[in-house]
Amino acid sequence: MKRILFLLVLVVPVFGQEPSVDDIVNTYFENTGGVAAWSKLNGIKMTGEFNQGGMKLPFEVVQMKDGKTYTKLSAQGKELRQNVFDGETMWSTNFMTMKPEKADAEATANQKLDSNDFPEALFDYKKKKYTAELLGKEDFEGTQCYKVKLVQEPITVDGAQVENISISYFDVETGVRLAQESEVHQGPAKGQTQQVKFSDFQEVDGLYFPFSLTQGLKGGPSGTITITKIELNPDVTSADFAMPAVEPEPAPAAQESQQGGN
Amino acid sequence: MSTFARPLWMLLFLFALPVLGGDGDLESEALFGALRARQIGPALMSGRINDLELHPTDARVVYVGAAGGGVWRSRDGGASFRPIFDKHVQSIGTVAVDPVNPDQILWVGTGETWTRNSVTTGDGIFKSTDGGSTWKLMGLEKSERIGSIEINPQNNNEVFVGVLGALWSDSPDRGVYKTNDGGATWTQVLYQAPDTGCADLVMDPNNPQVLYASMWQFRRTAWSFSSGGAKSGLYKTTDAGKTWQKIHNGFPSGKLGRIGLAIAPSQTQTLYAVLETEKEQDRGLYRSDDGGANWQHLNGDFGLVVRPFYFSRLVVDPKNPDIIAKGGLNGSISRDGGKSFRNLGEMHSDIHDIVFSNDNSDRLYVATDGGLYRSWDGGNSLEIVENLPLSQFYHVSFDLAEPYNVYGGLQDNGSWYGPTASPGGKFPNSPPGIKARDWQRIGVGDGFRVYPHLTKPLIYSEMQGAENVWRFNKERDELKTIQPLPEPGDPKLRFNWNAAMAMSPHKVDRIYIGSQFLHRSDDTGDTWVKLSPDLTRNDKNKQNQSDSGGLSKDNSGAETYGTIFTIAESPLDESVIWVGTDDGNVQVTRDGGKKWTNVVANIAGLPSETWCYHIEASAHEKGRAYAVFDGHSRGDFAPYIFRTDDFGASWRAIANQSIPNFVRCLQEDTVNPDLLFAGTERGLFITIDGGLNWNAFTNNVPPVAIHAVELHPKTHDLIMATHGRGIIILDDISPLRQMTPEVLAEEVHFFKTSPAVIRSESGFGGYSTELEFVGPNPDRHVRIVYYLKKRHVFGKTELKIFNEQGDLVAELTAGKAKGINVVTWQGLLQPPKIAKGKTFAISGFEAPRAPAGTYRVEFTKGKDVFESTIEIVNDPNSPYSDADRQALQKTTMELYRMTEDLAYLVYQIDSYSEALSGLEATKKTQKLRQELEQLKGTLVITTGDNYVGAADPQLREDLADLFGKVVQGFAPPSVPELANQNEVEGRFQAAQKSFSTLQKQAIALLEKAGKMPELQPYDLFVKTKN
Repeated sequence: MKRILFLLVLVVPVFGQEPSVDDIVNTYFENTGGVAAWSKLNGIKMTGEFNQGGMKLPFEVVQMKDGKTYTKLSAQGKELRQNVFDGETMWSTNFMTMKPEKADAEATANQKLDSNDFPEALFDYKKKKYTAELLGKEDFEGTQCYKVKLVQEPITVDGAQVENISISYFDVETGVRLAQESEVHQGPAKGQTQQVKFSDFQEVDGLYFPFSLTQGLKGGPSGTITITKIELNPDVTSADFAMPAVEPEPAPAAQESQQGGN
Repeated sequence: MSTFARPLWMLLFLFALPVLGGDGDLESEALFGALRARQIGPALMSGRINDLELHPTDARVVYVGAAGGGVWRSRDGGASFRPIFDKHVQSIGTVAVDPVNPDQILWVGTGETWTRNSVTTGDGIFKSTDGGSTWKLMGLEKSERIGSIEINPQNNNEVFVGVLGALWSDSPDRGVYKTNDGGATWTQVLYQAPDTGCADLVMDPNNPQVLYASMWQFRRTAWSFSSGGAKSGLYKTTDAGKTWQKIHNGFPSGKLGRIGLAIAPSQTQTLYAVLETEKEQDRGLYRSDDGGANWQHLNGDFGLVVRPFYFSRLVVDPKNPDIIAKGGLNGSISRDGGKSFRNLGEMHSDIHDIVFSNDNSDRLYVATDGGLYRSWDGGNSLEIVENLPLSQFYHVSFDLAEPYNVYGGLQDNGSWYGPTASPGGKFPNSPPGIKARDWQRIGVGDGFRVYPHLTKPLIYSEMQGAENVWRFNKERDELKTIQPLPEPGDPKLRFNWNAAMAMSPHKVDRIYIGSQFLHRSDDTGDTWVKLSPDLTRNDKNKQNQSDSGGLSKDNSGAETYGTIFTIAESPLDESVIWVGTDDGNVQVTRDGGKKWTNVVANIAGLPSETWCYHIEASAHEKGRAYAVFDGHSRGDFAPYIFRTDDFGASWRAIANQSIPNFVRCLQEDTVNPDLLFAGTERGLFITIDGGLNWNAFTNNVPPVAIHAVELHPKTHDLIMATHGRGIIILDDISPLRQMTPEVLAEEVHFFKTSPAVIRSESGFGGYSTELEFVGPNPDRHVRIVYYLKKRHVFGKTELKIFNEQGDLVAELTAGKAKGINVVTWQGLLQPPKIAKGKTFAISGFEAPRAPAGTYRVEFTKGKDVFESTIEIVNDPNSPYSDADRQALQKTTMELYRMTEDLAYLVYQIDSYSEALSGLEATKKTQKLRQELEQLKGTLVITTGDNYVGAADPQLREDLADLFGKVVQGFAPPSVPELANQNEVEGRFQAAQKSFSTLQKQAIALLEKAGKMPELQPYDLFVKTKN
């Protein structure tokens, strides 16, 4: 926190009245640990709980610099992996069969596009040929923010190329990002805006991370992820991301189902 | 299947979305923080749509420009729609998609152009360069109504805009405008006169230098409408707007009215125009096949000449120049180049726009007064889109039921009532929330005021101009018309189109209705007395409605003038009655109608004859009232709210320039006299200091016209009748009552909240189709409401709930927004720790309810800790006694503990079994392991899946099922449940006994080998619930 305040004194006056989009993005990374420190980061492991109105669900998320990622959920003593990506294959555990299943080809291809987006898409965005634009100042939930639009590589949705646009809100006062929004392109919420709100920034070995992420549909239902621990450069192996082979179930005795498949 | 639905949905929700990495002054919108309104629709009758637009190449994309409800987009061919323009004025004239970059560049011209009496205005022209995510105002702020936007397909920086302009006054800001720089600057390239605007503008897509513009001379006043004049005409430019020529060869001489215009995209020398003319025989459809040089009159059918101001829309099939569709009462279509027409199929009447899909002309979309329709067979059969909540309410009222119902009338969609909450949630297609089938119709035509009788099963409902005032007995399904009728000696009664009605706060059978007289009935409308003389200005020059309309007579009754418009009986004294008239009088009686005083002259700063839209008689002081005036029908858009404390002898203005447009209505808070809510033409404004400062409330309340605002006395909900976005409710405004400058100065301030009530909820409810709009229910959970002076960004936050014994019962996520934060707690404890098995025990995701009581809230913000309390109470209407609840709680917690004991038992078995596997594989260890596994096999499922491959349930599943049944109930446990509890308990005890024997053997073997596992102690094990 002391570091942040110190940096604010240095950085904020440089903006004057008209900061550029790069001023805003740089300040964000500087105020959260510095570009150099972020560029050295190889991966993070976040442990926490998903909380919806008091109901909690523990999870662990790993994101690596090379794009590998997994989310591990715990419920009733069982661990389920979701949104796992090993660099080529994306998979999740099916809740009914508890067996791994591949994501569809488009989702996998879109995930692959994000492989260069660690620690996040805005980092080094120019090198990735993304474009960022300052859309001006706007209140986000009553707090004045810079509104920045980022355009990444187009994604594929139902066979068609779709622009990949996200909007970030950077707190004018502290320079950190308070929220990010993007359009949902598929599924029943198609056309609606999804939103992630960031808060409770805390330091981990010199880098500042939001320990509270509230995500949901803008104006709709949301849930909050509370992070209890962040480990930098976690020790993982490729086996942590690989889709396991499905072991055949021992043939069960014939039984009459009581639960209809209707 | 069904039992899986809820918990799995909760799990799945987590993965539906990717995991991604000042001071509190009275001027700030930050005041309201996370306080959020809910839009309950309905959408079943939808509302008026002004304009439709399609993507030029992607047939899945459809745009709707609603008359009062903003811009909506479909990405699935019109199956479902989402709003994309909610931060801006909701009255839309036209939507345009850039032909060069149609995915990114969109234009919206604001201000509805079908100039009926109830239209509002726009704020200019907007552009988006990011596919509708963000919008920028590009100018033409004074245009009021924009009808057309034409973009050069060869140079999309060149855009032409047809501005219809002001309806109620002269204005130079109209005609055709052009930009060469993508909207940065504009030039007026065609202008006729201050009363003549551009009604239609079309570009030749093959030659963008060629445009056709129809100019229309028109004017509306509060008492008349005039369409047509010598200045109306049709013009053509062949040099991109530099010069314009009148192209009337073939048109009749004399005055013209509104001209609708269309070009055949597949044959651009062919044009169609529909004309309003002096002579009846000249009216209707004209065709030119030489680019407008010559015109031929083809057809004067009813469908082509009906109400030109409302229906002058012509559309040509993109592929066939001889297929033309025309807006109208029913809408009509010609397949022979305009020689003959037939009506479109059955749908809501009053058709304003029609679009043919570019890739298949059989697929078309139709905009009506009652929403959007789709057709797949060229307009023979049509189907309404059920998810466009564009309903245009004029008024709203409520009853005292739980949940309460709202009642109101709509533009051309009759009158309705429906609940503000509706059960559901247990099954797909039965979501919790207000579904279309929850709404009941109680009126036709334009519906206005609707009031429920508070003690009898009666509903009063009025139709346009008090043509009918119904008293509907909903128990007997009996209708009686009760409006006052002229008696011998009476003059013609003048009722406003939006005729005044009011209920008495003192006598349940009393109703007031206003013509030019105030009528009162004390017997639910069976008999009436005239309680006043004519309270209006009674200007005979403004009572010639039979001549209204201009070239086409239009005497619908909508212009009846010199009428009472608002009535208010003081809630503090029934003999104090206020009346406001459309011609600007404010009349008050203090003796129940014997003597009336016109006090409007005492209002300084109010232009004479300004329409008195609403009077709010104060609930705090007998002499206090608020009068709201609406000058828009005179071209005056200033906000006028005045307050008197002395029965109208003196007034002071309390609206100011922070309200950007005119105001229609005001609601005084019944607790805090400084808290006022204004329904304006650009959304909801709130003051917490009696009108010194007004703040827009924007959280889910778009800048839509709000025609009425009410405050519910039991729930403290603010209920808004919007004219374009249905009913919007701001639930429980009580935190706003507690807002003071002192509160705003605090870092953190907890507001007092009403106790949360433990209500029974089955999860069953009505059915809705997949694409049907469902209005959200109120949040009935425990609410923790606090104010933060500043947004929380850095450092940890915690929000913990403790019971009266000091036990931590819940950990919530704190709200971080500047202003008001609302955190909800479902009022549930954590689910029990469940034994680990192969599959999930679905009922094990259920959690016990926190019992009634006072709970302590501890909010940790960085190093600081703030405290408050919340209360949970039992439902006073519950049939169950405290003893019943205690019995339920006892059994619930016994099962809860048994569930956790079983989890620990299985944990021990797993631990010993695993430890034994590390020993040398002797017969003894193998047998012991086998026995442990066999025991485990009776305790939890060890094979199968979570669906139809499920194995037979074991003890864990049976126990969880019983726990799930008991914990979800409200009644004391039943005899079978208690017997079943004994049964599972017997099995559990037997298992414990068996385990005890095996445990001894295991310990002996493991200790001997020095490989005793380190088991977690029970308390620690059950603390981690998952």
